[in-house]
Amino acid sequence: MSRPSTSTSAGLGRALVAVYGVFALAATARSLVQLATKAGEAPLAYALSAVAALVYVAATLGLAEVGPDPRRLAWAAVGFELVGVLTVGTLTVLDPELFPDATVWSDYGAGYGWLPLVLPFVGIAWLWHTRARD
Amino acid sequence: MDGPLPLVLLAASLLFAAVVLVYVVLDRTPDWGLLGFAAVIEALTLVLLVVAAVQVGDVDLSGGGLVTLFGYLVAGLVLLPIGFVWSLAERSRGATAVLMVAGLAQAFVVVRVMQVWPS
Repeated sequence: MSRPSTSTSAGLGRALVAVYGVFALAATARSLVQLATKAGEAPLAYALSAVAALVYVAATLGLAEVGPDPRRLAWAAVGFELVGVLTVGTLTVLDPELFPDATVWSDYGAGYGWLPLVLPFVGIAWLWHTRARD
Repeated sequence: MDGPLPLVLLAASLLFAAVVLVYVVLDRTPDWGLLGFAAVIEALTLVLLVVAAVQVGDVDLSGGGLVTLFGYLVAGLVLLPIGFVWSLAERSRGATAVLMVAGLAQAFVVVRVMQVWPS
Protein backbone atom coordinates (compact mmCIF):
# COMPACT_ATOMS: atom_id res chain seq x y z
CA MET A 1 0.00 0.00 0.00
CA SER A 2 1.31 3.42 -0.91
CA ARG A 3 1.97 5.92 1.81
CA PRO A 4 -0.67 8.63 2.18
CA SER A 5 0.10 11.85 0.34
CA THR A 6 1.81 14.56 2.38
CA SER A 7 0.32 17.27 0.18
CA THR A 8 -2.19 19.43 2.05
CA SER A 9 -3.90 20.51 -1.18
CA ALA A 10 -4.56 17.08 -2.68
CA GLY A 11 -7.65 14.94 -2.37
CA LEU A 12 -9.83 15.94 0.56
CA GLY A 13 -7.46 18.86 1.13
CA ARG A 14 -8.63 20.39 -2.13
CA ALA A 15 -12.18 20.69 -0.82
CA LEU A 16 -10.86 21.98 2.53
CA VAL A 17 -8.88 24.69 0.73
CA ALA A 18 -12.09 25.63 -1.13
CA VAL A 19 -14.00 26.04 2.15
CA TYR A 20 -11.16 28.11 3.63
CA GLY A 21 -11.07 30.12 0.41
CA VAL A 22 -14.75 30.98 0.69
CA PHE A 23 -14.21 32.11 4.30
CA ALA A 24 -11.14 34.14 3.27
CA LEU A 25 -13.10 35.87 0.51
CA ALA A 26 -16.15 36.50 2.69
CA ALA A 27 -14.21 37.67 5.76
CA THR A 28 -11.96 39.97 3.72
CA ALA A 29 -14.89 41.54 1.86
CA ARG A 30 -16.91 41.94 5.05
CA SER A 31 -13.96 43.49 6.86
CA LEU A 32 -13.26 45.96 4.04
CA VAL A 33 -16.91 47.06 3.96
CA GLN A 34 -16.97 47.49 7.76
CA LEU A 35 -13.75 49.47 7.86
CA ALA A 36 -14.70 51.62 4.87
CA THR A 37 -18.25 52.50 5.90
CA LYS A 38 -18.45 52.44 9.71
CA ALA A 39 -15.01 51.96 11.24
CA GLY A 40 -15.77 54.22 14.23
CA GLU A 41 -18.86 52.39 15.43
CA ALA A 42 -17.27 49.27 16.84
CA PRO A 43 -13.49 49.50 16.41
CA LEU A 44 -12.70 46.38 18.44
CA ALA A 45 -15.17 44.18 16.56
CA TYR A 46 -14.03 45.48 13.16
CA ALA A 47 -10.35 45.15 14.00
CA LEU A 48 -11.09 41.59 15.00
CA SER A 49 -12.92 41.02 11.70
CA ALA A 50 -9.81 42.22 9.87
CA VAL A 51 -7.58 39.88 11.92
CA ALA A 52 -9.93 36.96 11.22
CA ALA A 53 -9.85 37.77 7.52
CA LEU A 54 -6.03 37.71 7.51
CA VAL A 55 -6.04 34.39 9.36
CA TYR A 56 -8.39 32.81 6.82
CA VAL A 57 -6.31 34.15 3.92
CA ALA A 58 -3.13 32.76 5.54
CA ALA A 59 -4.76 29.39 6.21
CA THR A 60 -6.01 29.19 2.62
CA LEU A 61 -2.59 30.00 1.16
CA GLY A 62 -0.83 27.63 3.55
CA LEU A 63 -3.13 24.70 2.87
CA ALA A 64 -3.05 25.44 -0.87
CA GLU A 65 0.77 25.19 -0.61
CA VAL A 66 1.51 28.72 -1.77
CA GLY A 67 4.70 30.41 -0.54
CA PRO A 68 8.07 29.24 0.79
CA ASP A 69 6.96 27.34 3.91
CA PRO A 70 3.24 26.68 3.48
CA ARG A 71 2.93 23.97 6.14
CA ARG A 72 4.31 26.25 8.84
CA LEU A 73 2.00 29.04 7.61
CA ALA A 74 -0.98 26.69 7.71
CA TRP A 75 -0.16 25.44 11.22
CA ALA A 76 0.23 29.00 12.51
CA ALA A 77 -2.97 30.22 10.85
CA VAL A 78 -5.12 27.25 11.86
CA GLY A 79 -3.73 27.33 15.42
CA PHE A 80 -4.44 31.06 15.69
CA GLU A 81 -7.90 30.39 14.27
CA LEU A 82 -8.64 27.79 16.95
CA VAL A 83 -7.45 30.07 19.76
CA GLY A 84 -9.35 32.97 18.21
CA VAL A 85 -12.70 31.24 17.87
CA LEU A 86 -12.47 29.74 21.38
CA THR A 87 -11.39 33.02 23.01
CA VAL A 88 -13.80 35.29 21.15
CA GLY A 89 -16.58 32.73 21.42
CA THR A 90 -16.15 32.52 25.20
CA LEU A 91 -15.85 36.29 25.62
CA THR A 92 -18.99 36.97 23.59
CA VAL A 93 -20.98 34.40 25.52
CA LEU A 94 -19.81 35.81 28.89
CA ASP A 95 -20.07 39.49 27.93
CA PRO A 96 -22.17 40.21 24.83
CA GLU A 97 -21.55 43.95 25.24
CA LEU A 98 -17.86 43.56 24.46
CA PHE A 99 -18.43 43.30 20.72
CA PRO A 100 -21.46 45.40 19.75
CA ASP A 101 -21.34 44.17 16.16
CA ALA A 102 -21.02 40.52 15.31
CA THR A 103 -17.75 39.05 14.10
CA VAL A 104 -17.24 35.72 12.43
CA TRP A 105 -16.04 34.22 15.73
CA SER A 106 -18.84 35.60 17.94
CA ASP A 107 -20.75 32.90 19.84
CA TYR A 108 -18.28 30.31 18.52
CA GLY A 109 -19.34 31.08 14.94
CA ALA A 110 -22.98 30.15 15.51
CA GLY A 111 -24.00 32.80 12.96
CA TYR A 112 -22.09 30.90 10.29
CA GLY A 113 -23.53 27.48 11.00
CA TRP A 114 -20.75 26.71 13.55
CA LEU A 115 -18.37 26.28 10.63
CA PRO A 116 -15.80 28.70 12.16
CA LEU A 117 -15.63 26.38 15.18
CA VAL A 118 -15.43 23.17 13.17
CA LEU A 119 -12.94 24.39 10.54
CA PRO A 120 -9.83 24.72 12.75
CA PHE A 121 -10.32 21.20 14.12
CA VAL A 122 -10.65 19.84 10.59
CA GLY A 123 -7.64 21.89 9.52
CA ILE A 124 -5.45 20.61 12.37
CA ALA A 125 -6.61 17.03 11.76
CA TRP A 126 -5.76 17.38 8.08
CA LEU A 127 -2.31 18.89 8.75
CA TRP A 128 -1.62 16.05 11.19
CA HIS A 129 -2.89 13.45 8.73
CA THR A 130 -0.64 14.74 5.93
CA ARG A 131 2.47 15.30 8.08
CA ALA A 132 5.79 13.96 6.83
CA ARG A 133 6.61 10.51 8.18
CA ASP A 134 9.84 8.55 8.01
CA MET B 1 -36.19 42.61 -6.75
CA ASP B 2 -39.03 41.96 -9.17
CA GLY B 3 -39.53 38.59 -10.77
CA PRO B 4 -38.60 35.03 -9.88
CA LEU B 5 -34.94 35.32 -10.97
CA PRO B 6 -33.31 35.24 -7.49
CA LEU B 7 -35.37 32.22 -6.45
CA VAL B 8 -34.63 30.42 -9.73
CA LEU B 9 -30.93 31.14 -9.24
CA LEU B 10 -31.05 29.93 -5.64
CA ALA B 11 -32.79 26.69 -6.66
CA ALA B 12 -30.35 26.16 -9.53
CA SER B 13 -27.33 26.66 -7.25
CA LEU B 14 -28.64 24.19 -4.66
CA LEU B 15 -29.51 21.69 -7.40
CA PHE B 16 -26.00 22.09 -8.81
CA ALA B 17 -24.51 21.33 -5.38
CA ALA B 18 -26.77 18.28 -5.07
CA VAL B 19 -25.76 17.02 -8.53
CA VAL B 20 -22.09 17.43 -7.61
CA LEU B 21 -22.73 15.44 -4.43
CA VAL B 22 -24.01 12.59 -6.61
CA TYR B 23 -20.83 12.86 -8.70
CA VAL B 24 -18.71 12.68 -5.53
CA VAL B 25 -20.60 9.66 -4.21
CA LEU B 26 -20.31 7.83 -7.55
CA ASP B 27 -16.64 8.96 -7.84
CA ARG B 28 -17.34 10.55 -11.24
CA THR B 29 -15.12 13.35 -12.50
CA PRO B 30 -16.72 16.61 -13.65
CA ASP B 31 -17.87 16.48 -17.27
CA TRP B 32 -19.22 18.87 -19.90
CA GLY B 33 -22.75 18.51 -18.52
CA LEU B 34 -21.64 19.84 -15.15
CA LEU B 35 -19.67 22.63 -16.81
CA GLY B 36 -22.76 23.55 -18.88
CA PHE B 37 -24.93 23.61 -15.75
CA ALA B 38 -22.42 25.95 -14.09
CA ALA B 39 -22.38 28.14 -17.23
CA VAL B 40 -26.18 28.53 -17.00
CA ILE B 41 -25.88 29.58 -13.32
CA GLU B 42 -23.10 31.97 -14.26
CA ALA B 43 -25.25 33.54 -17.00
CA LEU B 44 -28.22 33.88 -14.62
CA THR B 45 -25.95 35.56 -12.05
CA LEU B 46 -24.81 38.03 -14.70
CA VAL B 47 -28.46 38.79 -15.54
CA LEU B 48 -29.17 39.26 -11.82
CA LEU B 49 -26.28 41.73 -11.60
CA VAL B 50 -27.66 43.71 -14.57
CA VAL B 51 -31.23 43.64 -13.19
CA ALA B 52 -29.94 44.84 -9.81
CA ALA B 53 -27.95 47.64 -11.44
CA VAL B 54 -31.02 48.77 -13.41
CA GLN B 55 -33.49 48.58 -10.51
CA VAL B 56 -31.23 49.82 -7.70
CA GLY B 57 -32.06 53.45 -8.48
CA ASP B 58 -35.71 52.88 -7.50
CA VAL B 59 -35.07 51.45 -4.05
CA ASP B 60 -33.88 52.87 -0.77
CA LEU B 61 -30.43 51.44 -0.20
CA SER B 62 -27.78 53.25 1.84
CA GLY B 63 -24.09 53.45 0.96
CA GLY B 64 -23.07 50.42 3.02
CA GLY B 65 -25.97 48.36 1.71
CA LEU B 66 -25.11 49.28 -1.86
CA VAL B 67 -21.49 48.16 -1.47
CA THR B 68 -22.64 44.96 0.24
CA LEU B 69 -25.19 44.19 -2.49
CA PHE B 70 -22.79 44.54 -5.39
CA GLY B 71 -20.00 42.89 -3.40
CA TYR B 72 -22.13 39.77 -3.15
CA LEU B 73 -23.17 39.99 -6.81
CA VAL B 74 -19.55 40.22 -7.98
CA ALA B 75 -18.59 37.39 -5.61
CA GLY B 76 -21.36 35.37 -7.26
CA LEU B 77 -19.68 35.89 -10.61
CA VAL B 78 -16.24 34.65 -9.54
CA LEU B 79 -17.11 31.72 -7.25
CA LEU B 80 -17.86 29.10 -9.89
CA PRO B 81 -15.01 29.97 -12.29
CA ILE B 82 -12.46 29.90 -9.45
CA GLY B 83 -14.04 26.69 -8.16
CA PHE B 84 -13.67 25.02 -11.56
CA VAL B 85 -10.05 26.12 -11.97
CA TRP B 86 -9.19 24.76 -8.51
CA SER B 87 -11.24 21.60 -9.01
CA LEU B 88 -10.15 20.57 -12.52
CA ALA B 89 -6.44 20.72 -11.68
CA GLU B 90 -6.82 17.33 -10.00
CA ARG B 91 -8.90 14.23 -10.52
CA SER B 92 -10.16 13.05 -7.17
CA ARG B 93 -13.29 12.99 -5.07
CA GLY B 94 -11.99 15.88 -2.99
CA ALA B 95 -11.37 17.93 -6.13
CA THR B 96 -14.91 17.27 -7.37
CA ALA B 97 -16.28 18.21 -3.94
CA VAL B 98 -14.76 21.67 -4.48
CA LEU B 99 -17.60 22.31 -6.94
CA MET B 100 -20.13 21.42 -4.23
CA VAL B 101 -18.53 24.04 -1.96
CA ALA B 102 -18.74 26.55 -4.83
CA GLY B 103 -22.41 25.71 -5.48
CA LEU B 104 -23.36 26.08 -1.80
CA ALA B 105 -21.42 29.35 -1.56
CA GLN B 106 -23.25 30.54 -4.68
CA ALA B 107 -26.60 29.73 -3.03
CA PHE B 108 -25.50 31.62 0.09
CA VAL B 109 -24.57 34.65 -2.02
CA VAL B 110 -28.04 34.67 -3.65
CA VAL B 111 -29.73 34.42 -0.22
CA ARG B 112 -27.67 37.38 1.02
CA VAL B 113 -28.55 39.42 -2.11
CA MET B 114 -32.25 38.74 -1.43
CA GLN B 115 -31.80 39.78 2.21
CA VAL B 116 -29.91 42.98 1.41
CA TRP B 117 -32.41 44.02 -1.26
CA PRO B 118 -35.11 46.16 0.44
CA SER B 119 -38.55 44.63 -0.03
